[in-house]
Amino acid sequence: MEGRVGAGKKVLWGLAALAVAAYALLPVAWVVSLSLKPGSELSDGSFLPKSPTLDNFRAVFKDPQFPAALRNSLGIAAISTVVAVLLAMFAAYAIVRLDFPGKRLVLGGALAIAMFPAISIVGPLFNMWRSLGLYDTWAGLIIPYMTFTLPLAIWTLSAFFREIPWDLDKAARVDGATPFQAFRKVIAPLAAPGVFTAAILVFIFAWNDFLFAITLTSTNSARTVPAALAFFTGASQFEQPTGSIAAASVIVTIPIVIVVLLFQRRIVAGLTSGAVKG
Amino acid sequence: MATIELDHVSKRFGDGTEAVHDATFTIDDGEFFILVGPSGCGKSTLLNMIVGLEDVTDGEIRVDGRTVNDVDPKDRNMAMVVQSYAIYPHMTVRENIAFPLRLAKRAKDEVARRVDEVAAILELTDLLDRRPSQLSGGQRQRVAMGRAIVREPNAYLMDEPLSNLDAKLRVQMRTEIAGLQQRLGTTTVYVTHDQTEAMTLGDRIAILRKGVVQQLGTPRELYARPANVFVAGFIGSPAMNLLPAQIDGDTLRLPMVDVPMDDALRRRVRDTQGDVVVGVRPESFGDAAQLDDERRSRGVTFSAHVGVVEWMGAEQFAYVDLDRSTSRELTELANELGAEETGGAHRTRLVARLDQSSDVRAGADVELWLDTNALHLFATATGDRLAEVGGDDVVDVRTHPAAHAPAR
Repeated sequence: MEGRVGAGKKVLWGLAALAVAAYALLPVAWVVSLSLKPGSELSDGSFLPKSPTLDNFRAVFKDPQFPAALRNSLGIAAISTVVAVLLAMFAAYAIVRLDFPGKRLVLGGALAIAMFPAISIVGPLFNMWRSLGLYDTWAGLIIPYMTFTLPLAIWTLSAFFREIPWDLDKAARVDGATPFQAFRKVIAPLAAPGVFTAAILVFIFAWNDFLFAITLTSTNSARTVPAALAFFTGASQFEQPTGSIAAASVIVTIPIVIVVLLFQRRIVAGLTSGAVKG
Repeated sequence: MATIELDHVSKRFGDGTEAVHDATFTIDDGEFFILVGPSGCGKSTLLNMIVGLEDVTDGEIRVDGRTVNDVDPKDRNMAMVVQSYAIYPHMTVRENIAFPLRLAKRAKDEVARRVDEVAAILELTDLLDRRPSQLSGGQRQRVAMGRAIVREPNAYLMDEPLSNLDAKLRVQMRTEIAGLQQRLGTTTVYVTHDQTEAMTLGDRIAILRKGVVQQLGTPRELYARPANVFVAGFIGSPAMNLLPAQIDGDTLRLPMVDVPMDDALRRRVRDTQGDVVVGVRPESFGDAAQLDDERRSRGVTFSAHVGVVEWMGAEQFAYVDLDRSTSRELTELANELGAEETGGAHRTRLVARLDQSSDVRAGADVELWLDTNALHLFATATGDRLAEVGGDDVVDVRTHPAAHAPAR
């Protein structure tokens, strides 16, 4: 009796999961299908390409702006991630371990920034960056990415640092470590899952951003892939570059998928840690 | 090897609370020194100041004559073992033990040799490549000890290192720590809230209460001559019976019996009249039926109703209910000691330690004998011990326990 109820539940849950997965993945599948279709089939509305071809991918890489954009995307996302996570580690450690005036203000402010609508600052930022010479540079994108991802990284990492017993810092200090050595050799390694989580979240944000990238760049020197996609042109002015855009979309999705698949356990552990005392 | 001197050391926190007030004492080279007191008495703060994890607000801490107030903990060459063990979970046992040496940038072969030596001493050799998560509580405790021993520090500081172990292991590790300390001969400061640990381990003990050192001395001194009511109630298990009493001319009126004062008592009481607190160790009672006339004549007897009897095998504890309610001061003290098994003074209930052969029964009346030479007297207002001026107290350390053991 109980076994049958259990089996029934399992089937129901399985169906629900399948429905959600289909709902989420159908657009992705559509883009993949589009990227494999030759130009003549693009508007035929069939789900599977009749004569799959890699032409679109070849075309994308032939266009000089795409490799440049890929380079920009990788560089900018990587630098943003490293710098933001490093800063967030120090900030989170200080917030958790030290008692200083304005601590709540920092945490509250960080949260406020994370909730701030990005669209409301791109205009002023555009003007500022132009006069500061940051327009269309890597730094010009790295700075806003860090600003918007630091709060999340700080909150994630503080949750992790809070779990690390204070006795360990003290033990390290008594064992002969400087405060920085204690942090580097004991605290940071123990917070590694949190660092991974924060890093992945920052990377995905920087990698996926379109708003800042389209507003604050103008040439191949800093334009990232999401922005570059908007500048793809068809073979002629009467032709939509649908196939190329689809191919480029597939290419930029692959790294994220790989990263998430590799670290999904860590991300889940990271996102939920601190919620329940283990 | 180090002598640690505390010179009028105080600690005030930012919110104005004073955790330690004017502590002055010297921990001798090679001594096993205990800081004991109920939770929140400032003993851990004091330890953290010695090791440098807390700043000293006032006063001076000197190690071998050198002031260390502003010396960073890493430069004090002291090793610490804490209640949570604080072994690094991401390192193997070997890496944990080697950590202080690696920080000190010792040569690789020397590190390996020292780690092996220490592992052999602590019987950790087979566990060197395990992670802390694979170890039992006792083994983790040993790793923490190993990390402390490995660098041959000036002093060991231990903050309740045994509190997380189960009762049996705690007794075993207690013996091991005592043996280890004797073998290494290194100055050790040991913090505990457990008076049994304090009594069994310490060469000398400092008892703290609310940040103030109450008394400093050997376990025997503290047991035989507690300086005040707090020490009296804290040291000893079961705890000393603390009773409100009155001095009325030449008679000391206890709740259960009047005691005619002899010369020895009178010399201690001097001209005090009125309320006093009388302390009686459980072993200062006896089953009157088991005593010969000579011993009975050295005390008073009274009849009492036995509430509960705890038979321990070698001895038994009889709990006697008194109708008298206790005084307010004693109730307060009891609350403070309350966290402890010592329970202290809130009893309108006496505990008497009787010989196992006594046929005392719960619910029955018994004729109890009280050794009047073994009474501890304290002033009610201050809680301080009433002692003969300049003289040795009546209770003698060496003869006390034997003299009051019931006749067999």
